[in-house]
Amino acid sequence: MRAFHYHYHEPATLVEALSLLEGHGDSAHVLAGGTALVPLMRSGLVLPEHVVALERIPNLREIGIAPDGGLSIGALVTHREIERSALVERFFAPLAETFGRVATIRIRNQGTIGGNVIHADPASDPPPMLLALDAQAVIASGTTMRTAPLAEFFRGFFETALGRAEIVTTIHIPPPMRGARGVYLKFLPGSEDDFATVSVATVVHLEDGVCRHARIGLGAVGSTPLRARRAEAVLLGSALSPKTIAEAAAIAKSEVEPYDDARGSANYKRRMVEVFVRRALERLRAA
Amino acid sequence: MSLVTPRAAGTRLESNERRIDGDAKVSGAAKFAADFELPGMLWAAFATSPVAHAKIGSVDATAARAMPGVRAVLTGADIGEHCFGRRLFDRPAIAVDRVRFIGECVAAVAAETRQQAEEAAAAILVEYDELPALFEPEEALAPNAPVLHEHPERYHFHGGTRPSAPHPNIQGESILAKGDVEAAFAGADRIFEDEFTTPRYHGGYIEPRATVVWIDDDGIVHIVGTNKSPYAFREGFSICTGVPLEKVRIEPAYIGGDFGGKGLSVDEYPCYFLSRATRRPVKYVRSYLEDMRSGTVRHASRTTLRTGVTSDGKIVAVDAKIVFNGGAYAAGKPIATLVPGMDPKLPYDIPAGRLRRTAVYTNTVPGGHMRAPGDVQFIFAFESQLDIIARELGIDPFELRLRNAVRDTGSDLDGVPYLQPAALRVLERLRELRPRRPLAPGRGRGIALGVRHIGGGKAELSLRLDASGKVTVQTSAMEQGMGVFSVVQRVVAVELEIDPSLVSVQQLPAMDGAPVDPGAGASRQTHVTGGAALRASQRLRELVQSAAPEWPQRLDWHAAARIAAREGIVVRASFEAVHHHEPAEHGFCGIAVEVDAQTGQVTLHDAVCVADVGTVVNPVALRGQIAGGFVMGLGDAMTEELRVVDGRIENASLADYKLPAQVDVPPLRFVPIEGFPGPGPFGAKMAGEINTAAVAPAIANAIADACGARVHDLPLRAERVLAAIERVRGLHDDDTS
Repeated sequence: MRAFHYHYHEPATLVEALSLLEGHGDSAHVLAGGTALVPLMRSGLVLPEHVVALERIPNLREIGIAPDGGLSIGALVTHREIERSALVERFFAPLAETFGRVATIRIRNQGTIGGNVIHADPASDPPPMLLALDAQAVIASGTTMRTAPLAEFFRGFFETALGRAEIVTTIHIPPPMRGARGVYLKFLPGSEDDFATVSVATVVHLEDGVCRHARIGLGAVGSTPLRARRAEAVLLGSALSPKTIAEAAAIAKSEVEPYDDARGSANYKRRMVEVFVRRALERLRAA
Repeated sequence: MSLVTPRAAGTRLESNERRIDGDAKVSGAAKFAADFELPGMLWAAFATSPVAHAKIGSVDATAARAMPGVRAVLTGADIGEHCFGRRLFDRPAIAVDRVRFIGECVAAVAAETRQQAEEAAAAILVEYDELPALFEPEEALAPNAPVLHEHPERYHFHGGTRPSAPHPNIQGESILAKGDVEAAFAGADRIFEDEFTTPRYHGGYIEPRATVVWIDDDGIVHIVGTNKSPYAFREGFSICTGVPLEKVRIEPAYIGGDFGGKGLSVDEYPCYFLSRATRRPVKYVRSYLEDMRSGTVRHASRTTLRTGVTSDGKIVAVDAKIVFNGGAYAAGKPIATLVPGMDPKLPYDIPAGRLRRTAVYTNTVPGGHMRAPGDVQFIFAFESQLDIIARELGIDPFELRLRNAVRDTGSDLDGVPYLQPAALRVLERLRELRPRRPLAPGRGRGIALGVRHIGGGKAELSLRLDASGKVTVQTSAMEQGMGVFSVVQRVVAVELEIDPSLVSVQQLPAMDGAPVDPGAGASRQTHVTGGAALRASQRLRELVQSAAPEWPQRLDWHAAARIAAREGIVVRASFEAVHHHEPAEHGFCGIAVEVDAQTGQVTLHDAVCVADVGTVVNPVALRGQIAGGFVMGLGDAMTEELRVVDGRIENASLADYKLPAQVDVPPLRFVPIEGFPGPGPFGAKMAGEINTAAVAPAIANAIADACGARVHDLPLRAERVLAAIERVRGLHDDDTS
């Protein structure tokens, strides 16, 4: 079925949006850029009775520096705006580059960061890098605001910790350590215009050649975007020698549970995690 | 008779054409089937089978009939068995007592709005008594396999008698043989045997199928649809529905891409029955998911290829068996053998050979025709194996092809002699283009050669000249993207030595009295419809000259037209040609790749297509065909595959069925070979299907050149390439792909 009825709401304030969600419960769905929701509606996988569009709500489109020196990105900021933002570039260039790898320019001009995280697509590009940067979702509900680290926010296959009447207003990214390096590798063996077969975001910080901080975010290798925590642990205190990198990559491979699909068998994706974690870390060592 | 005229045109053919339908398409003025709206029009929706094979127990439409806006609900029991097809009429308009694939129509609804129709279709309750389903030809050909079509004798076979087949689940079979094959194998120094597979592909055209059907007060059935062969469809429609031929009219509309699949109409049939039941126009527009299971996907195939060669690389014998997964119905195939495509041609001189092609019923999406049907499957196998042989024998793959290329004489596997074989000149041209520098490690180059007939058929059209000098072409050809109207305009303008802007094209419905057109397909339209345009122009030219003998030397066209066409002149001409007895066209593809040995990822760096295209009529359209044919071959090679698991299409959207994107296409050079005229107007040949089939084997050969890994299965996914690399290294014993 492609055609069906729903009520379309365009609240002017966050409070109004939250009260619509409160009032309509599970039958309501939030709309940001629509690049995720509209295809789901067209295919009949999501059939909301109420669509609550956030478009008119002010202050959700801004990128700024937070009091802690971190980056605040409003939920309605598009992928393309992040990709091209001078502020994001100065803050942590690999973050801007990651958003530049999302789908196509048409999607990047429409899709938003808030929509992206609540969609919780395990194969999407931003989450691995956001995980590698310890990003948090700032979540508004009727009376309060709370924050949730994305590492806890992604709960399951297209499932998040977002409550029924809650809206993600901002993604907050704590300031990376000075001199931290990062890279995002998206493995696209078929078409360039596709979801990743596997993707890897790594952020490391070296002091006097010794790794003091390491994050490895992975995409398309399980029911959620995830961190390879055991592989990260191997890197800490090391000099990122080829041997350590190989060991971390082999461990990362054991931390994933990919699915068989058109982009590859589970076994192949697991092996590609090893290859791309290794390549990402080698790139950072050389940087 | 040759269509090469002594006057032929010279510089008039060299300038780029301005596409006659370009403005209408760019501005949105061009009308496609989905754009048609009629007063009182209803929308159709269909209830479709969720199971691959079942007896229909009962269909309960009580709730659906009572829903708001619903004007008719029809089941197979309501209309009876009305089967349609292009050659074998084996596919029911609405299933009567049995369904044979997921997505088959079991009931049709007409309602005031599309939403009402869809909701009612969803409310139809169907009881299915599931039957064992057959998904692969190997299962279907087992001696005791369930028979999928128990009463084939009820099916109409158009234009003759259906040949018998050794198994009831065989749709059709074609066997070609030449020479004493076993004796020839006995004389071979080496015999190579390999197996190759190809998956199902969808044409990927922009426009999903759509139709509007209505019946006027005189009982004429009008059909706006997406069928590119209007006269064949009209005839088939009449046979399927029982509506007398003279009461069927296929209305003109642009078609938004075809690539072969739109020779079969599907939804027009239930929409007709709905229109008959409601006395109102009925419209249907498919979603892409629905289009992917419409029944015209390229057949999946398994080819077993045995080739005997001498130690210096001369082919002495070929024995090939191709089994096509035909799906639930043979309706989509127009050829009398009921296998996809006509007899394939090879550009090599093969003294003895046998080719058996078998299409088999299964409980999966029906197969149909798609650009170079049959060739994509066979040429992938043949050209891949040639490189396997070359490498084994230590002969350069280019040299091996040269040694076997058809020279002045020679004949196909079916014994039809080659006329004007072009393999040598294509290979020679390629030799000149071959880069001299050695390749970096991890890089490789591959080549493949293809040859294809130029389609025949019979086309008519008429020209009307008025006193102002304007010429109006009337044709029933369908414009499905190839640019036939521009071809016709150019041919007329060149022959009459007038500016193309004086020539307009009017598309007439396919009906009694209108000019017959065989439809797009088999790359025939420049040849056949263009041929009719030239004939008609020649006749008009003679008429103008006899009325105004001073034209063109001492009188200009407008003055001549004023004299000759005071009352208007109408000429009508037809052109007919058969397929086989014309020089075929050869195409060639060479590709350079880089292979990532750790991931199997293949990066394409460079590609060249050489094609012997005869005289170029429309230069822009020709480049479009070559580039488009290459990109379609690239999709076949690298990214596309309709994944069908237990009869269910798993990636029925363009998000998951990956057509190549612009960024995936490597720099492509096109090198036409001209100077060897073909049978079309001014010596044109064809271009639509010349290079698609050569792309995948060229890439597979380039991969093998880069890293020694041979992939026998399309698409050449990175995972398969990696497995092949590891087989070469001896690391991998099972194929996980």
